[in-house]
Amino acid sequence: MMEEKTPTVISIRELSKTYKNVAALKPLNMEVRQNSIFGFLGPNGAGKTTTIKLLLGLTRPTAGNASVFGMDVAKQSVDIRARIGYLPQEPRFYEHMSARETLRFVAKFFFKGPNKAIEARIAEMLDLVDLTEKADRPMKTFSGGEKQRLGIAQAQINYPDLLILDEPAASLDPIGRRDVLEVMSRLRKHTTVFYSTHILDDVQKVSDTVAILNKGVLVAEGPIEELLAGSEGIIYLVHLKGDADTAVNLVKSQPWVSGVKTGIHGDETTLQVSVSDPAAAEAQLLKLLVNSPVVVTEFRLKQYELEDIFMQVVEGGQNVRK
Amino acid sequence: MSGNSDLLLVTEKGWRRGLNNLLDNEFAGWFKTKMWWIQCIIWVSVTGFMLAGVMFSTPDFDIKEGMMIFSVFMGLFPAIGVVIIMQDALVGEKSEGTIAWILSKPASRPSVILSKVTANSLGVLVTMVLVPGLFAYGLFCYYTKTMLEPLPFLSAFGVVFISHLFYLTLTLMLGAFFNGRGPVIGLGLGLLFLQQYLIAAVPALGYFLPWKLVVPLNNGTDAIVPALLRGDPITSFLPIAVVFLECVLFVAISLWRFNREEF
Repeated sequence: MMEEKTPTVISIRELSKTYKNVAALKPLNMEVRQNSIFGFLGPNGAGKTTTIKLLLGLTRPTAGNASVFGMDVAKQSVDIRARIGYLPQEPRFYEHMSARETLRFVAKFFFKGPNKAIEARIAEMLDLVDLTEKADRPMKTFSGGEKQRLGIAQAQINYPDLLILDEPAASLDPIGRRDVLEVMSRLRKHTTVFYSTHILDDVQKVSDTVAILNKGVLVAEGPIEELLAGSEGIIYLVHLKGDADTAVNLVKSQPWVSGVKTGIHGDETTLQVSVSDPAAAEAQLLKLLVNSPVVVTEFRLKQYELEDIFMQVVEGGQNVRK
Repeated sequence: MSGNSDLLLVTEKGWRRGLNNLLDNEFAGWFKTKMWWIQCIIWVSVTGFMLAGVMFSTPDFDIKEGMMIFSVFMGLFPAIGVVIIMQDALVGEKSEGTIAWILSKPASRPSVILSKVTANSLGVLVTMVLVPGLFAYGLFCYYTKTMLEPLPFLSAFGVVFISHLFYLTLTLMLGAFFNGRGPVIGLGLGLLFLQQYLIAAVPALGYFLPWKLVVPLNNGTDAIVPALLRGDPITSFLPIAVVFLECVLFVAISLWRFNREEF
Protein backbone atom coordinates (compact mmCIF):
# COMPACT_ATOMS: atom_id res chain seq x y z
CA MET A 1 0.00 0.00 0.00
CA MET A 2 1.33 3.45 -0.87
CA GLU A 3 2.07 5.75 2.05
CA GLU A 4 -0.11 8.87 1.95
CA LYS A 5 2.07 11.97 1.55
CA THR A 6 1.50 14.85 3.99
CA PRO A 7 0.33 17.94 2.07
CA THR A 8 2.83 20.73 1.47
CA VAL A 9 2.04 24.08 3.09
CA ILE A 10 5.06 26.09 1.92
CA SER A 11 6.79 25.35 -1.34
CA ILE A 12 9.83 27.39 -2.36
CA ARG A 13 11.43 27.09 -5.81
CA GLU A 14 14.68 28.84 -6.74
CA LEU A 15 13.63 31.81 -4.63
CA SER A 16 16.26 34.53 -4.36
CA LYS A 17 16.53 38.10 -3.16
CA THR A 18 19.21 40.66 -3.94
CA TYR A 19 19.46 44.08 -2.31
CA LYS A 20 21.65 46.53 -4.23
CA ASN A 21 23.88 43.78 -5.66
CA VAL A 22 24.11 41.98 -2.33
CA ALA A 23 22.55 38.51 -2.43
CA ALA A 24 20.54 38.21 0.78
CA LEU A 25 19.09 34.91 -0.37
CA LYS A 26 20.58 32.69 -3.05
CA PRO A 27 18.28 30.37 -5.03
CA LEU A 28 16.43 28.50 -2.31
CA ASN A 29 14.41 25.31 -2.66
CA MET A 30 12.47 24.05 0.31
CA GLU A 31 9.19 22.50 1.35
CA VAL A 32 7.31 22.64 4.62
CA ARG A 33 4.80 19.90 5.31
CA GLN A 34 1.44 20.33 7.02
CA ASN A 35 1.38 20.10 10.82
CA SER A 36 5.15 20.11 11.11
CA ILE A 37 7.14 22.31 13.43
CA PHE A 38 9.79 23.55 11.04
CA GLY A 39 12.87 25.13 12.62
CA PHE A 40 14.61 27.59 10.33
CA LEU A 41 18.13 28.10 11.63
CA GLY A 42 21.05 30.24 10.73
CA PRO A 43 23.44 32.84 12.06
CA ASN A 44 22.54 36.54 11.91
CA GLY A 45 22.33 37.76 8.33
CA ALA A 46 21.83 34.26 6.93
CA GLY A 47 18.64 35.25 5.11
CA LYS A 48 16.00 33.85 7.50
CA THR A 49 14.03 37.06 7.94
CA THR A 50 14.35 37.81 4.21
CA THR A 51 12.77 34.42 3.44
CA ILE A 52 9.94 35.08 5.90
CA LYS A 53 9.30 38.55 4.44
CA LEU A 54 9.17 37.04 0.96
CA LEU A 55 6.60 34.49 2.12
CA LEU A 56 4.48 37.26 3.64
CA GLY A 57 4.66 39.48 0.56
CA LEU A 58 6.42 42.24 2.48
CA THR A 59 9.21 42.14 -0.06
CA ARG A 60 9.39 40.93 -3.68
CA PRO A 61 11.56 38.10 -4.93
CA THR A 62 14.39 38.92 -7.33
CA ALA A 63 13.91 35.53 -8.97
CA GLY A 64 12.10 32.25 -8.39
CA ASN A 65 8.79 31.78 -6.69
CA ALA A 66 7.12 30.46 -3.59
CA SER A 67 3.65 29.32 -2.74
CA VAL A 68 1.79 29.01 0.53
CA PHE A 69 -1.32 26.80 0.59
CA GLY A 70 -0.79 26.53 -3.16
CA MET A 71 -1.13 30.31 -3.63
CA ASP A 72 1.60 32.45 -5.18
CA VAL A 73 3.24 34.73 -2.60
CA ALA A 74 3.77 37.49 -5.14
CA LYS A 75 0.21 37.52 -6.52
CA GLN A 76 -2.07 36.25 -3.74
CA SER A 77 -0.32 37.65 -0.72
CA VAL A 78 -3.46 39.06 0.97
CA ASP A 79 -5.34 35.76 0.65
CA ILE A 80 -2.34 33.91 2.06
CA ARG A 81 -2.10 36.29 5.00
CA ALA A 82 -5.76 35.63 5.82
CA ARG A 83 -4.68 32.12 6.84
CA ILE A 84 -1.39 33.00 8.52
CA GLY A 85 -0.36 34.21 11.94
CA TYR A 86 2.93 36.10 12.05
CA LEU A 87 5.17 37.21 14.86
CA PRO A 88 7.92 39.58 13.68
CA GLN A 89 11.40 39.51 15.17
CA GLU A 90 10.77 42.79 16.99
CA PRO A 91 7.02 43.20 17.41
CA ARG A 92 5.91 46.81 16.94
CA PHE A 93 2.46 47.96 17.99
CA TYR A 94 0.67 51.29 18.30
CA GLU A 95 1.92 52.78 21.55
CA HIS A 96 -1.40 54.45 22.35
CA MET A 97 -3.32 51.17 22.25
CA SER A 98 -3.68 48.74 25.12
CA ALA A 99 -3.02 45.01 24.67
CA ARG A 100 -6.75 44.37 24.38
CA GLU A 101 -7.20 47.13 21.79
CA THR A 102 -4.24 45.77 19.84
CA LEU A 103 -5.76 42.30 19.73
CA ARG A 104 -9.16 43.78 18.79
CA PHE A 105 -7.52 45.71 15.95
CA VAL A 106 -5.78 42.56 14.68
CA ALA A 107 -8.90 40.40 15.11
CA LYS A 108 -10.91 42.74 12.91
CA PHE A 109 -8.65 42.03 9.95
CA PHE A 110 -10.04 38.49 10.11
CA PHE A 111 -13.47 38.69 11.71
CA LYS A 112 -16.35 41.10 11.32
CA GLY A 113 -18.38 39.80 14.24
CA PRO A 114 -20.12 39.00 16.42
CA ASN A 115 -18.41 41.30 18.90
CA LYS A 116 -19.09 38.95 21.80
CA ALA A 117 -17.23 36.12 20.09
CA ILE A 118 -14.38 38.45 19.12
CA GLU A 119 -14.05 39.64 22.72
CA ALA A 120 -14.09 36.01 23.91
CA ARG A 121 -11.25 35.18 21.49
CA ILE A 122 -9.29 38.21 22.71
CA ALA A 123 -9.75 37.11 26.33
CA GLU A 124 -8.61 33.58 25.42
CA MET A 125 -5.46 34.91 23.75
CA LEU A 126 -4.66 37.25 26.65
CA ASP A 127 -5.01 34.31 29.00
CA LEU A 128 -2.83 32.13 26.79
CA VAL A 129 0.09 34.54 27.11
CA ASP A 130 -0.69 35.51 30.70
CA LEU A 131 -1.44 39.16 29.98
CA THR A 132 -5.02 39.31 31.27
CA GLU A 133 -4.11 41.53 34.21
CA LYS A 134 -2.23 43.97 31.98
CA ALA A 135 -4.75 43.90 29.15
CA ASP A 136 -5.94 47.48 29.52
CA ARG A 137 -2.62 49.18 30.12
CA PRO A 138 -1.15 51.23 27.26
CA MET A 139 1.51 49.52 25.21
CA LYS A 140 4.18 52.06 26.18
CA THR A 141 4.22 50.56 29.70
CA PHE A 142 5.00 47.05 28.38
CA SER A 143 8.44 45.45 28.70
CA GLY A 144 10.14 43.77 25.73
CA GLY A 145 9.13 40.32 26.98
CA GLU A 146 5.50 41.40 27.44
CA LYS A 147 5.43 42.81 23.93
CA GLN A 148 6.83 39.51 22.66
CA ARG A 149 4.07 37.61 24.47
CA LEU A 150 1.46 39.95 23.02
CA GLY A 151 3.07 39.33 19.64
CA ILE A 152 2.50 35.61 20.08
CA ALA A 153 -1.13 36.23 21.08
CA GLN A 154 -1.85 38.46 18.06
CA ALA A 155 -0.24 35.91 15.76
CA GLN A 156 -2.71 33.27 16.93
CA ILE A 157 -5.88 35.35 17.14
CA ASN A 158 -7.25 33.86 13.91
CA TYR A 159 -6.32 30.26 14.77
CA PRO A 160 -4.04 30.30 11.72
CA ASP A 161 -3.37 27.32 9.48
CA LEU A 162 0.25 28.44 9.38
CA LEU A 163 2.08 30.23 12.14
CA ILE A 164 5.26 32.04 11.11
CA LEU A 165 7.41 33.08 14.03
CA ASP A 166 10.60 35.09 13.56
CA GLU A 167 12.78 34.47 16.62
CA PRO A 168 9.81 33.87 18.94
CA ALA A 169 11.81 33.28 22.10
CA ALA A 170 14.66 35.71 21.55
CA SER A 171 13.67 38.26 24.19
CA LEU A 172 11.98 35.92 26.66
CA ASP A 173 13.28 34.66 29.99
CA PRO A 174 13.67 30.88 30.45
CA ILE A 175 10.10 30.46 31.74
CA GLY A 176 8.73 32.51 28.87
CA ARG A 177 10.75 30.42 26.44
CA ARG A 178 9.44 27.21 27.92
CA ASP A 179 5.86 28.53 27.64
CA VAL A 180 6.36 29.45 23.98
CA LEU A 181 7.74 26.01 23.20
CA GLU A 182 4.76 24.42 24.98
CA VAL A 183 2.34 26.53 22.96
CA MET A 184 4.10 25.54 19.75
CA SER A 185 3.96 21.85 20.63
CA ARG A 186 0.27 22.15 21.50
CA LEU A 187 -0.51 23.84 18.21
CA ARG A 188 1.04 21.08 16.13
CA LYS A 189 -2.30 19.24 15.92
CA HIS A 190 -4.05 22.19 14.29
CA THR A 191 -1.34 24.29 12.72
CA THR A 192 1.92 24.20 10.83
CA VAL A 193 4.61 26.16 12.65
CA PHE A 194 7.48 27.70 10.67
CA TYR A 195 9.88 29.53 12.92
CA SER A 196 13.32 31.01 12.72
CA THR A 197 15.68 30.95 15.64
CA HIS A 198 19.27 30.76 16.67
CA ILE A 199 18.48 29.03 19.99
CA LEU A 200 19.48 25.51 19.02
CA ASP A 201 18.31 23.93 22.25
CA ASP A 202 14.73 25.05 21.53
CA VAL A 203 14.85 23.63 18.03
CA GLN A 204 16.03 20.26 19.28
CA LYS A 205 13.20 20.19 21.83
CA VAL A 206 10.22 20.91 19.60
CA SER A 207 11.04 20.76 15.88
CA ASP A 208 10.42 17.77 13.69
CA THR A 209 12.10 19.27 10.62
CA VAL A 210 15.05 21.61 10.43
CA ALA A 211 16.67 23.74 7.75
CA ILE A 212 19.92 25.60 8.22
CA LEU A 213 20.63 28.68 6.17
CA ASN A 214 24.08 30.24 5.94
CA LYS A 215 25.01 33.33 3.93
CA GLY A 216 21.79 33.03 1.95
CA VAL A 217 22.36 29.36 1.09
CA LEU A 218 20.45 26.36 2.42
CA VAL A 219 23.20 24.13 3.82
CA ALA A 220 21.17 21.50 5.67
CA GLU A 221 17.60 20.33 5.64
CA GLY A 222 15.75 17.29 6.87
CA PRO A 223 13.91 15.56 9.68
CA ILE A 224 15.67 16.37 12.92
CA GLU A 225 16.37 12.70 13.83
CA GLU A 226 18.15 12.22 10.52
CA LEU A 227 20.22 15.35 10.93
CA LEU A 228 21.14 14.36 14.46
CA ALA A 229 22.25 10.98 13.18
CA GLY A 230 24.98 12.90 11.36
CA SER A 231 26.13 13.18 7.80
CA GLU A 232 28.50 10.24 7.98
CA GLY A 233 25.68 7.68 7.99
CA ILE A 234 24.93 5.39 10.89
CA ILE A 235 27.80 4.92 13.28
CA TYR A 236 27.91 2.72 16.37
CA LEU A 237 30.10 3.79 19.27
CA VAL A 238 31.58 0.86 21.19
CA HIS A 239 33.82 0.93 24.27
CA LEU A 240 35.50 -2.37 25.10
CA LYS A 241 38.22 -3.96 27.22
CA GLY A 242 40.31 -7.01 26.34
CA ASP A 243 41.64 -8.32 23.00
CA ALA A 244 40.55 -5.39 20.83
CA ASP A 245 42.52 -6.47 17.72
CA THR A 246 40.60 -9.72 17.41
CA ALA A 247 37.29 -7.92 17.90
CA VAL A 248 38.18 -5.24 15.32
CA ASN A 249 39.18 -7.85 12.72
CA LEU A 250 35.98 -9.77 13.36
CA VAL A 251 33.86 -6.63 12.93
CA LYS A 252 35.75 -5.52 9.81
CA SER A 253 35.09 -8.89 8.16
CA GLN A 254 31.31 -8.34 8.19
CA PRO A 255 29.82 -7.38 4.79
CA TRP A 256 27.57 -4.70 6.35
CA VAL A 257 30.50 -2.83 7.98
CA SER A 258 31.85 0.01 5.86
CA GLY A 259 34.60 1.21 8.22
CA VAL A 260 36.03 1.01 11.70
CA LYS A 261 37.95 3.74 13.53
CA THR A 262 39.74 2.87 16.73
CA GLY A 263 41.08 4.86 19.64
CA ILE A 264 42.62 3.96 22.98
CA HIS A 265 41.62 5.62 26.27
CA GLY A 266 43.46 4.08 29.24
CA ASP A 267 42.67 0.38 29.32
CA GLU A 268 39.66 0.86 27.04
CA THR A 269 39.50 0.75 23.27
CA THR A 270 36.91 2.84 21.47
CA LEU A 271 35.48 1.73 18.14
CA GLN A 272 33.43 3.85 15.74
CA VAL A 273 31.76 1.34 13.45
CA SER A 274 30.22 2.73 10.25
CA VAL A 275 27.59 0.43 8.81
CA SER A 276 25.99 0.12 5.39
CA ASP A 277 23.07 -2.06 6.48
CA PRO A 278 21.50 -0.64 9.65
CA ALA A 279 19.15 -3.60 10.13
CA ALA A 280 21.96 -6.18 9.97
CA ALA A 281 24.10 -4.07 12.27
CA GLU A 282 21.29 -3.70 14.79
CA ALA A 283 20.71 -7.47 14.80
CA GLN A 284 24.31 -8.70 14.78
CA LEU A 285 26.91 -6.20 15.94
CA LEU A 286 26.43 -6.41 19.70
CA LYS A 287 25.99 -10.21 19.57
CA LEU A 288 29.24 -10.48 17.60
CA LEU A 289 31.19 -8.43 20.12
CA VAL A 290 29.73 -10.16 23.16
CA ASN A 291 30.79 -13.51 21.71
CA SER A 292 34.36 -12.29 21.05
CA PRO A 293 37.15 -12.18 23.69
CA VAL A 294 36.30 -8.63 24.90
CA VAL A 295 34.13 -6.99 27.54
CA VAL A 296 31.74 -4.42 26.07
CA THR A 297 31.44 -1.51 28.52
CA GLU A 298 29.40 0.83 26.29
CA PHE A 299 27.43 0.31 23.11
CA ARG A 300 25.28 2.97 21.44
CA LEU A 301 24.39 4.73 18.23
CA LYS A 302 26.41 7.88 17.70
CA GLN A 303 24.09 10.90 18.07
CA TYR A 304 25.04 14.45 17.27
CA GLU A 305 23.79 17.48 19.14
CA LEU A 306 22.15 20.02 16.86
CA GLU A 307 24.90 22.41 17.81
CA ASP A 308 27.48 20.00 16.32
CA ILE A 309 25.57 19.86 13.06
CA PHE A 310 25.08 23.62 13.03
CA MET A 311 28.77 24.28 13.60
CA GLN A 312 29.76 21.69 10.98
CA VAL A 313 27.60 23.18 8.27
CA VAL A 314 28.01 26.85 9.15
CA GLU A 315 31.71 26.91 9.92
CA GLY A 316 32.82 23.90 7.92
CA GLY A 317 30.84 24.78 4.81
CA GLN A 318 29.38 21.27 4.55
CA ASN A 319 26.08 20.54 2.92
CA VAL A 320 23.70 18.15 4.62
CA ARG A 321 20.45 17.48 2.77
CA LYS A 322 18.25 14.59 3.94
CA MET B 1 -9.38 27.64 9.21
CA SER B 2 -10.31 25.46 12.14
CA GLY B 3 -12.10 26.63 15.27
CA ASN B 4 -13.51 29.89 13.88
CA SER B 5 -17.07 28.65 13.36
CA ASP B 6 -18.53 31.05 15.93
CA LEU B 7 -17.03 34.06 14.16
CA LEU B 8 -18.02 35.78 10.93
CA LEU B 9 -15.06 35.96 8.59
CA VAL B 10 -14.18 39.13 6.73
CA THR B 11 -15.09 38.44 3.13
CA GLU B 12 -13.80 41.51 1.27
CA LYS B 13 -11.35 40.67 -1.49
CA GLY B 14 -8.70 42.57 -3.41
CA TRP B 15 -7.94 46.21 -2.67
CA ARG B 16 -10.86 46.54 -0.22
CA ARG B 17 -9.47 43.87 2.11
CA GLY B 18 -8.69 45.49 5.48
CA LEU B 19 -10.07 48.89 4.46
CA ASN B 20 -12.93 48.99 6.99
CA ASN B 21 -10.67 48.10 9.89
CA LEU B 22 -7.99 50.56 8.83
CA LEU B 23 -10.58 53.31 8.35
CA ASP B 24 -11.94 52.65 11.85
CA ASN B 25 -8.41 52.85 13.20
CA GLU B 26 -7.56 56.09 11.36
CA PHE B 27 -10.86 57.74 12.29
CA ALA B 28 -10.32 56.69 15.91
CA GLY B 29 -6.93 58.41 15.76
CA TRP B 30 -8.70 61.67 14.92
CA PHE B 31 -12.05 61.51 16.65
CA LYS B 32 -11.70 59.11 19.59
CA THR B 33 -8.67 60.87 21.03
CA LYS B 34 -8.05 64.48 22.07
CA MET B 35 -6.63 65.14 18.59
CA TRP B 36 -9.82 66.58 17.11
CA TRP B 37 -10.55 69.14 19.81
CA ILE B 38 -6.92 70.18 20.16
CA GLN B 39 -6.82 70.82 16.40
CA CYS B 40 -10.12 72.71 16.62
CA ILE B 41 -8.78 74.94 19.40
CA ILE B 42 -5.52 75.59 17.51
CA TRP B 43 -7.20 76.59 14.25
CA VAL B 44 -10.04 78.56 15.80
CA SER B 45 -7.34 80.45 17.73
CA VAL B 46 -5.05 80.96 14.74
CA THR B 47 -7.73 81.99 12.25
CA GLY B 48 -10.76 83.12 14.26
CA PHE B 49 -9.11 84.91 17.17
CA MET B 50 -6.56 86.61 14.90
CA LEU B 51 -9.41 87.75 12.66
CA ALA B 52 -11.31 88.98 15.71
CA GLY B 53 -8.21 90.84 16.87
CA VAL B 54 -7.86 92.65 13.55
CA MET B 55 -11.63 93.18 13.25
CA PHE B 56 -12.20 94.74 16.64
CA SER B 57 -8.95 96.70 16.93
CA THR B 58 -9.04 98.42 13.52
CA PRO B 59 -11.08 101.61 13.32
CA ASP B 60 -13.47 101.62 10.35
CA PHE B 61 -12.67 97.98 9.64
CA ASP B 62 -13.51 97.11 6.04
CA ILE B 63 -15.46 93.84 6.01
CA LYS B 64 -14.29 92.99 2.47
CA GLU B 65 -10.69 93.48 3.57
CA GLY B 66 -11.50 91.25 6.53
CA MET B 67 -12.71 88.50 4.20
CA MET B 68 -9.43 88.65 2.31
CA ILE B 69 -7.44 88.44 5.55
CA PHE B 70 -9.58 85.51 6.71
CA SER B 71 -8.96 83.71 3.40
CA VAL B 72 -5.19 84.10 3.80
CA PHE B 73 -5.32 82.89 7.43
CA MET B 74 -7.50 79.91 6.51
CA GLY B 75 -5.51 79.03 3.43
CA LEU B 76 -1.95 79.25 4.71
CA PHE B 77 -1.65 78.53 8.43
CA PRO B 78 -3.63 75.26 8.58
CA ALA B 79 -1.73 74.11 5.46
CA ILE B 80 1.42 74.10 7.62
CA GLY B 81 -0.47 71.91 10.11
CA VAL B 82 -1.58 69.58 7.32
CA VAL B 83 2.03 69.02 6.18
CA ILE B 84 3.22 68.40 9.74
CA ILE B 85 0.41 65.93 10.50
CA MET B 86 0.69 64.10 7.20
CA GLN B 87 4.49 63.70 7.24
CA ASP B 88 3.95 61.33 10.15
CA ALA B 89 1.15 59.38 8.49
CA LEU B 90 3.41 57.18 6.40
CA VAL B 91 6.99 58.04 7.30
CA GLY B 92 6.27 57.78 11.04
CA GLU B 93 4.63 54.41 10.66
CA LYS B 94 7.38 53.17 8.36
CA SER B 95 10.10 54.12 10.84
CA GLU B 96 8.18 52.70 13.82
CA GLY B 97 7.57 49.42 11.97
CA THR B 98 3.79 49.49 12.40
CA ILE B 99 3.15 49.58 8.65
CA ALA B 100 5.09 46.32 8.15
CA TRP B 101 3.10 44.81 11.02
CA ILE B 102 -0.22 45.86 9.43
CA LEU B 103 0.88 44.51 6.06
CA SER B 104 1.61 41.13 7.62
CA LYS B 105 -2.16 40.91 8.23
CA PRO B 106 -4.76 40.47 5.49
CA ALA B 107 -4.77 44.15 4.53
CA SER B 108 -4.15 45.31 0.98
CA ARG B 109 -1.64 48.06 0.33
CA PRO B 110 -4.22 50.33 -1.35
CA SER B 111 -6.38 50.07 1.78
CA VAL B 112 -3.54 51.55 3.85
CA ILE B 113 -3.21 54.59 1.57
CA LEU B 114 -6.95 55.08 1.07
CA SER B 115 -7.70 54.87 4.80
CA LYS B 116 -5.10 57.54 5.50
CA VAL B 117 -6.38 59.85 2.74
CA THR B 118 -10.01 59.45 3.80
CA ALA B 119 -9.65 59.79 7.56
CA ASN B 120 -7.12 62.61 7.43
CA SER B 121 -9.17 64.49 4.84
CA LEU B 122 -12.22 64.33 7.09
CA GLY B 123 -10.13 65.32 10.11
CA VAL B 124 -8.74 68.33 8.24
CA LEU B 125 -12.17 69.27 6.86
CA VAL B 126 -13.77 69.28 10.30
CA THR B 127 -11.00 70.73 12.46
CA MET B 128 -9.17 73.04 10.06
CA VAL B 129 -11.96 74.21 7.78
CA LEU B 130 -15.49 73.79 9.11
CA VAL B 131 -15.07 74.55 12.82
CA PRO B 132 -12.79 77.61 12.43
CA GLY B 133 -14.78 78.63 9.33
CA LEU B 134 -18.09 78.57 11.18
CA PHE B 135 -16.51 80.50 14.04
CA ALA B 136 -15.35 83.16 11.57
CA TYR B 137 -18.78 83.21 9.90
CA GLY B 138 -20.28 83.92 13.32
CA LEU B 139 -17.78 86.74 13.81
CA PHE B 140 -18.65 88.34 10.48
CA CYS B 141 -22.36 88.10 11.30
CA TYR B 142 -21.77 89.59 14.74
CA TYR B 143 -19.64 92.41 13.36
CA THR B 144 -22.03 93.32 10.54
CA LYS B 145 -25.06 92.66 12.76
CA THR B 146 -26.68 90.86 9.83
CA MET B 147 -27.26 87.22 8.98
CA LEU B 148 -24.84 86.85 6.07
CA GLU B 149 -25.67 84.55 3.17
CA PRO B 150 -24.16 81.16 4.19
CA LEU B 151 -23.75 79.69 0.68
CA PRO B 152 -20.74 81.85 -0.36
CA PHE B 153 -19.05 80.90 2.90
CA LEU B 154 -19.72 77.18 2.36
CA SER B 155 -18.40 77.43 -1.21
CA ALA B 156 -15.30 79.22 0.08
CA PHE B 157 -14.79 76.52 2.71
CA GLY B 158 -14.97 73.92 -0.07
CA VAL B 159 -12.21 75.66 -2.02
CA VAL B 160 -10.08 76.09 1.12
CA PHE B 161 -10.51 72.36 1.71
CA ILE B 162 -9.31 71.55 -1.82
CA SER B 163 -6.27 73.72 -1.18
CA HIS B 164 -5.53 71.78 2.04
CA LEU B 165 -6.21 68.51 0.22
CA PHE B 166 -3.40 69.44 -2.17
CA TYR B 167 -0.86 69.60 0.68
CA LEU B 168 -2.36 66.52 2.33
CA THR B 169 -2.06 64.30 -0.73
CA LEU B 170 1.29 65.85 -1.73
CA THR B 171 2.78 65.06 1.70
CA LEU B 172 1.33 61.55 1.64
CA MET B 173 2.88 60.99 -1.78
CA LEU B 174 6.26 62.26 -0.56
CA GLY B 175 5.93 59.90 2.41
CA ALA B 176 5.48 57.02 -0.01
CA PHE B 177 8.78 57.92 -1.70
CA PHE B 178 10.96 58.86 1.28
CA ASN B 179 11.74 57.09 4.54
CA GLY B 180 12.96 60.19 6.41
CA ARG B 181 10.87 63.08 7.72
CA GLY B 182 13.29 65.76 6.47
CA PRO B 183 12.60 65.59 2.73
CA VAL B 184 8.87 65.17 3.29
CA ILE B 185 8.50 68.25 5.50
CA GLY B 186 11.11 70.19 3.55
CA LEU B 187 9.51 69.66 0.16
CA GLY B 188 5.96 70.09 1.50
CA LEU B 189 6.59 73.36 3.34
CA GLY B 190 9.08 74.50 0.69
CA LEU B 191 6.43 74.33 -1.98
CA LEU B 192 3.88 75.99 0.29
CA PHE B 193 6.03 79.10 0.75
CA LEU B 194 7.91 79.21 -2.54
CA GLN B 195 4.96 78.89 -4.88
CA GLN B 196 4.17 82.62 -4.75
CA TYR B 197 7.60 83.29 -6.30
CA LEU B 198 7.22 80.45 -8.79
CA ILE B 199 3.86 81.83 -9.95
CA ALA B 200 5.31 85.33 -10.18
CA ALA B 201 8.08 83.95 -12.41
CA VAL B 202 5.86 81.64 -14.46
CA PRO B 203 2.24 82.91 -14.25
CA ALA B 204 0.83 79.73 -15.86
CA LEU B 205 1.79 77.88 -12.69
CA GLY B 206 -1.08 79.75 -11.02
CA TYR B 207 -3.37 77.17 -12.57
CA PHE B 208 -1.41 74.24 -11.12
CA LEU B 209 -0.57 75.43 -7.62
CA PRO B 210 -3.12 76.13 -4.89
CA TRP B 211 -1.75 79.50 -3.82
CA LYS B 212 -4.18 81.58 -5.87
CA LEU B 213 -7.16 79.63 -4.61
CA VAL B 214 -6.77 81.36 -1.26
CA VAL B 215 -4.17 84.14 -1.46
CA PRO B 216 -4.30 87.03 -3.95
CA LEU B 217 -1.04 87.70 -5.74
CA ASN B 218 -1.12 90.93 -7.72
CA ASN B 219 -3.94 93.42 -7.38
CA GLY B 220 -5.69 91.55 -4.59
CA THR B 221 -8.59 90.39 -6.74
CA ASP B 222 -7.21 87.26 -8.35
CA ALA B 223 -7.83 84.74 -5.54
CA ILE B 224 -10.95 82.60 -5.59
CA VAL B 225 -11.83 82.27 -1.89
CA PRO B 226 -11.92 86.06 -1.10
CA ALA B 227 -13.96 86.58 -4.27
CA LEU B 228 -16.44 83.89 -3.22
CA LEU B 229 -16.79 85.41 0.26
CA ARG B 230 -17.34 88.89 -1.12
CA GLY B 231 -19.76 87.70 -3.77
CA ASP B 232 -17.50 88.96 -6.58
CA PRO B 233 -17.56 87.21 -9.98
CA ILE B 234 -15.04 84.39 -10.43
CA THR B 235 -12.98 84.72 -13.58
CA SER B 236 -12.19 81.01 -13.86
CA PHE B 237 -12.99 77.89 -11.88
CA LEU B 238 -10.29 76.02 -13.78
CA PRO B 239 -7.63 76.30 -11.00
CA ILE B 240 -10.03 74.54 -8.60
CA ALA B 241 -10.53 71.65 -11.02
CA VAL B 242 -6.80 71.42 -11.82
CA VAL B 243 -5.75 71.38 -8.15
CA PHE B 244 -8.40 68.76 -7.38
CA LEU B 245 -7.17 66.59 -10.26
CA GLU B 246 -3.64 66.98 -8.94
CA CYS B 247 -4.87 65.64 -5.58
CA VAL B 248 -6.28 62.59 -7.37
CA LEU B 249 -2.99 62.21 -9.24
CA PHE B 250 -0.98 62.41 -6.00
CA VAL B 251 -3.13 59.66 -4.47
CA ALA B 252 -2.70 57.52 -7.58
CA ILE B 253 1.10 58.00 -7.46
CA SER B 254 1.08 57.18 -3.71
CA LEU B 255 -0.81 53.95 -4.43
CA TRP B 256 1.63 53.01 -7.18
CA ARG B 257 4.72 53.79 -5.11
CA PHE B 258 3.45 52.17 -1.92
CA ASN B 259 2.62 49.03 -3.86
CA ARG B 260 6.30 48.75 -4.82
CA GLU B 261 7.61 49.47 -1.34
CA GLU B 262 9.54 46.71 0.45
CA PHE B 263 9.52 46.27 4.20
